[in-house]
Amino acid sequence: MTAVVQYRPSRQKRIKDTTRQAILYLLACSLSLVLVFPLFWMVSTSLKTDAEANAPKPVWLPAQPQFDSYGEILADPDWRTYIANSIFVTALGVVGTLVSVTIVAFAFSRLDWPGRNLVFFMMLGTLMLPFQATLVPQYVLFNKLGWVDTFNPVTIPGYFAGGAAMVFLLRQFMLSIPRELDEAALVDGASYWQIFRHIVLPNTRPALATVGLFLFVGQWNALQLPLIYLQSRNMHTLPMAILNLFNPQQTQQPWTLIMATSLVAVVPLVVVFLAVQRHFVESIVLTGTKG
Amino acid sequence: MDIAQPFLEFLEKLFGPVNSLLDPLKSNRMAYTLAWSALTLVFMVVSGLCMAGLARLIARLRGKNRQYQYKTFTGYLFASPWITGFVIFVLGPTLLSLYWSFTNLRIGEPAELVGMKNYVDLFRDRNFITALFNSFYLTVIGVPLQMAAGLGMAVLLNQRIRGRSLFRLIYYLPVLLATSTAVLFTWRLMLNANNGVINSILGALNKGPLHYLVGAFIFVTELTSAAFMALQTGNTKILEKIVAMGFPGPERLPLWLGADGLAFLWNKPSVVIILMWSAGAMMVIYLAALSGVPQTFYEAAKVDGANAWQRFRHITWPMIAPATFYNLIIGMIATLQIFEASVSLVRDGGQNQALYSVAYYLWRSTFRFNKVGYGAAMSWVLLAIIVILTVIQFRSQGKWVYYQGE
Repeated sequence: MTAVVQYRPSRQKRIKDTTRQAILYLLACSLSLVLVFPLFWMVSTSLKTDAEANAPKPVWLPAQPQFDSYGEILADPDWRTYIANSIFVTALGVVGTLVSVTIVAFAFSRLDWPGRNLVFFMMLGTLMLPFQATLVPQYVLFNKLGWVDTFNPVTIPGYFAGGAAMVFLLRQFMLSIPRELDEAALVDGASYWQIFRHIVLPNTRPALATVGLFLFVGQWNALQLPLIYLQSRNMHTLPMAILNLFNPQQTQQPWTLIMATSLVAVVPLVVVFLAVQRHFVESIVLTGTKG
Repeated sequence: MDIAQPFLEFLEKLFGPVNSLLDPLKSNRMAYTLAWSALTLVFMVVSGLCMAGLARLIARLRGKNRQYQYKTFTGYLFASPWITGFVIFVLGPTLLSLYWSFTNLRIGEPAELVGMKNYVDLFRDRNFITALFNSFYLTVIGVPLQMAAGLGMAVLLNQRIRGRSLFRLIYYLPVLLATSTAVLFTWRLMLNANNGVINSILGALNKGPLHYLVGAFIFVTELTSAAFMALQTGNTKILEKIVAMGFPGPERLPLWLGADGLAFLWNKPSVVIILMWSAGAMMVIYLAALSGVPQTFYEAAKVDGANAWQRFRHITWPMIAPATFYNLIIGMIATLQIFEASVSLVRDGGQNQALYSVAYYLWRSTFRFNKVGYGAAMSWVLLAIIVILTVIQFRSQGKWVYYQGE
């Protein structure tokens, strides 16, 4: 009988395993290098001279790193304005949306009320609605309100739990917290607000971090709405300002400056991602939604 | 006669006092928005309390007990931000845009009803057809390649290798960067046909024995693009030209994001490269699906002598079919809504409208050319396509899902 096979891998199998590991590891590493290459190129180009950046044969690394472009950004009050605008719009939009989305997700996951399923179903329906569908009438509306060329259209709609996908993700996560906790608290005389504040919120942190990340990325990278609503130069956000650096009339572009400003726009994305990554993986695995 | 007009005038009257109150603040752009934010908050609380109070009143009139009334009140109060927002920013605008899609509205001019004209025009509009075909190309060529990249990453990270969680982060990072104008500009620089770094690498490879590989890549890409073009226009001139040019010599390199010559054949393949680069979102979906495949299946197959490929083909692939289908539908919908790439990678949607998407063309018609009614019609066609795709996704879920233990 072979029932009692001694399972100690042979020497040969161990070597085979190690080789396999090494190959997989090498593969994973080289793929990583390919994927981060654009970031390397961004940094490298931002440190080149204009001649190097526009050379007919690409220069991989600048002979002498130039920090002029960064100096230019720092010295130029316009760039400070763009950065401040981006931070303002992102902070306001992310905080407002995150708070309201969490409250609404609580209503959909931990409270029983008549009509909940109907309202939830409607919310799922809006998942299909492309945001372009409401783009035109919203513009007319905001135009009437005198909101064009103010930050209102790119921040305030978010306060109304903008983004059904985010509500959905949070709801799925909140459903995984045992309901018995709520019931025990209710027996002890807690209000729903206290349950929200002391039971649900602390347990939802990973999902909140994830939703916060998605909202942050969406708002920080946003281009379409700002292009429509933020018309004056002093209202422009960072992506718009970068877009404006590119002059299609010219053959030579200020690539070093474009790449330096691009780095300024990209660093926050990477930093925030690294800050929340632990929670991010956790909540994605738990809810299995949204990518 | 525009039925939306009285409604908008009412809004204007309603907001007039508030506007005049806050107008002095307009010179400080941030304080203005902060003030409006505070007002919005007050409005949300008031409207939430009203809504919840109304719900409780109805519950009381229906003779429900106190507990039920309290639950009703709390539920509607917590859900009220979404309900209010839905009415103001979704339902109202959607109905307005449906109405406007039957008018020739331009901002600053009175609208006239034109019946189905916008919709009829839309399907005769060469740019719109091009936008649809671009999505079709990206769906048939780009999304499968993106899914393959995502699946490859997922399978790799599903192995026991050291630093798995770090690799997972690195593979996912491009998803967050892909909509950034900054990063798209970096791609634009790297994919420059004349002095971009990617062509310089390809040029170096193109000299040695790898020339056949590079050449084959160029040949196949141009042939597919030209074939799709022929399908769209019914004109095979470009396809014949590519065939006549034969297998590319070592001097020929991809034209990527160029704007002249045959570059329009390369604009979309450039986007495919970026799609593959940012396949991390699909990877995450696949990773979740892979972790749901029971290990016992593999062990059983091993006992039966199935090799790695057979195990993948007959166990993994059917088990993760729902994830594949989900990724496909999400990817298809995304191709209709490409916007940042059409603006940042190329000038005005690319050579020969190669990077027009429905979303981009909608934006261009509405906000560059003030054809509001026309844009509204386009948004409804877009909505219809997405609804159809989503319904297909939902419907087929039952057929695709393999339940554990069955």
